[in-house]
Amino acid sequence: MDPALRTPANRVSPRARLGWALIAIAQALVPVVVLVLLVTVWNVFSMPLWGWVAIGVAALAYVVVMPGIRYQVHRWETTEQAVFTQSGWITRERRVAPLARVQTVDFEQGIVSRLLGLTTVTVTTASAAGPVRIEGLDRIVAGRLVADLSASAAAETGDAT
Amino acid sequence: MSDAEPQYPADEDALGRDADWRRLDPRMLLVHPVNEVVRFLPALVAVFVLGSHSGGDTWWHLLAVAIPVALGLLRFVTTRFRITSAQIELSRGLISRNVLTARLDRVRTVELTSSPIHRLLGLAKVQVGTGSAKKGGDEKFALDSLGVDEARSLRHALLHRAAAVEASVDAPETTTVAAPVDERLVAFDPAWIRFAPLTTGGLLIAIGALAAGNQFISTAVDRLSHRIDLGEPRHLGLTIAAAVVGFVVVISVLSIVGYVLTNWGFTLTRDVAGRSVHVRKGLLTTRETSLELERIRGLDIHEPLGLRLARGARLAAIVTGLSKKEAGSTSLVPAAPAAVVATTAAELLHEELPLTVALESHGPRATRRRFSRALGVAAVVAGVWAVVVVATGWPAPAYAFAAVPLLLALPLAADRARRLGHALTPRFLVTRAHCFHGRRVVLEREGIIGWNLTQTWFQRRAGLVTLTATTAAGKQGYALMDVPEAQAVALADSATPGMLTDFLAESVR
Repeated sequence: MDPALRTPANRVSPRARLGWALIAIAQALVPVVVLVLLVTVWNVFSMPLWGWVAIGVAALAYVVVMPGIRYQVHRWETTEQAVFTQSGWITRERRVAPLARVQTVDFEQGIVSRLLGLTTVTVTTASAAGPVRIEGLDRIVAGRLVADLSASAAAETGDAT
Repeated sequence: MSDAEPQYPADEDALGRDADWRRLDPRMLLVHPVNEVVRFLPALVAVFVLGSHSGGDTWWHLLAVAIPVALGLLRFVTTRFRITSAQIELSRGLISRNVLTARLDRVRTVELTSSPIHRLLGLAKVQVGTGSAKKGGDEKFALDSLGVDEARSLRHALLHRAAAVEASVDAPETTTVAAPVDERLVAFDPAWIRFAPLTTGGLLIAIGALAAGNQFISTAVDRLSHRIDLGEPRHLGLTIAAAVVGFVVVISVLSIVGYVLTNWGFTLTRDVAGRSVHVRKGLLTTRETSLELERIRGLDIHEPLGLRLARGARLAAIVTGLSKKEAGSTSLVPAAPAAVVATTAAELLHEELPLTVALESHGPRATRRRFSRALGVAAVVAGVWAVVVVATGWPAPAYAFAAVPLLLALPLAADRARRLGHALTPRFLVTRAHCFHGRRVVLEREGIIGWNLTQTWFQRRAGLVTLTATTAAGKQGYALMDVPEAQAVALADSATPGMLTDFLAESVR
């Protein structure tokens, strides 16, 4: 019987997919626009049609595929003892931080996430390598989570190092 | 703690804590003028040389000398400090007043530095490290300078304030801070100098010096090249051989000079109460760094390839609460025989087990990954070389050099695979990895405050994870590369009982 970690219980909000897609569009747009400027306006080099097609397909694939995979992967869970998250799409990461070591709980919303009613909750410990981030949470769920975590962090004594 | 204040003995100790403001040592009046004069030297020279040429203007000379002296005097007059029951305060400035305050229980390190001038006058500069995240914050917390004895007892008071207060309640006589007697753990042995050229630090110093002397070297090469005909094979061979030998000699000499300058007279001592360790070293400028043992979460034994081949190693402490800038002040033993480092480490850990314990290997899949990664990088280098050969039209035998990276990759991968390992002892997590930057990390299990399990796409296919133990000390996270997933989970679970229990699957696969 091999010991293994199970997947964390909760998915993030389904709207997170839209959020990731919007970010992906922004990320894909920057290199594409630069390329278009280089080729058409500044005439630095020329590109054959198949090059444009390849880049277009790659950018589109990124925008379409990445959010779906992330939605499958990103999960989170808290218990009396600890916070547990899973994130990433190509490189995946699972993080565990015991509540006894929690130092701060951040609740943040960017412009895109505010429009979509999403929130990123970051739980930090005394280690700079240990912050646990949960992206794309529903705002109400996040509010409840922050309240829970803050309460249990406050109950702990000691300097958490 | 503050309500315990009235219980302090009324007579206080020689440090005069809770007493009034104290000043720097008056002898520093001599340091500053000399320092300022050195800094103003170019200007001074200009004044004297040009001044005497143009004639007259003697007041100009006087002013140039007087200004630095006045600046030093001003600094002496305006710098004051005091230690109260809870904090140390440093007040500076004549027109703009600046008072720095730090809580005594936040003091992480105390460093005493003495330049040759300081040493001549029996002085030391005291730098207090508080782990402040503010940029340059700790740089400012310096007292330049105090008498050496005063500086040492100040250090003692700063580091052991809390303990001294507790002790004073039971036994007031223990609070009299005499010059502390320390237990010596290691002392410098001139034979260690043989390790100097093998350290990366030594190499960097040498390259830096070479770059600085670039001008001189290029002139020398220029002169020589007139006499040598590189077209003749015998000359070419000799020149290459001479260049290689010369490079090795220069690197060795420079790195030895650097090593001697920083590490001569090195001693590592522990105060008798076992609360802190002091590292003292330096040939001209001496440096004494003190670390509180309570903040040491483990040891980092550096075994870079060069040192390892000569059976050498270095020792550093993994300390909590240091800012990035202070992280360099955690070195405990410079390049020295591995046996010396091991005994010192065992002495500091109070046990030998973490250093001698047999390490668990990460298995065949981790080994395969070492080889595929090393060969992958080598193949890219070889490919680039082949392209260069084609592009420049060099003769076909040049292709043979493409084999060099591939051949080097094999022993590198083998060494990396062989070194990869970890172990768990009752108190510590031990990890070992890497070839060129080889290190063995001994991390206190108590200090682990979380786990990260990272998997790249390739690692997922191989069923391996990189397991990182996060901690508030040192590098903040210590990674175990390419551990089979089940082994990683079992290790993390048993290293920190309870932390993962909620998330363990009953049985998988």
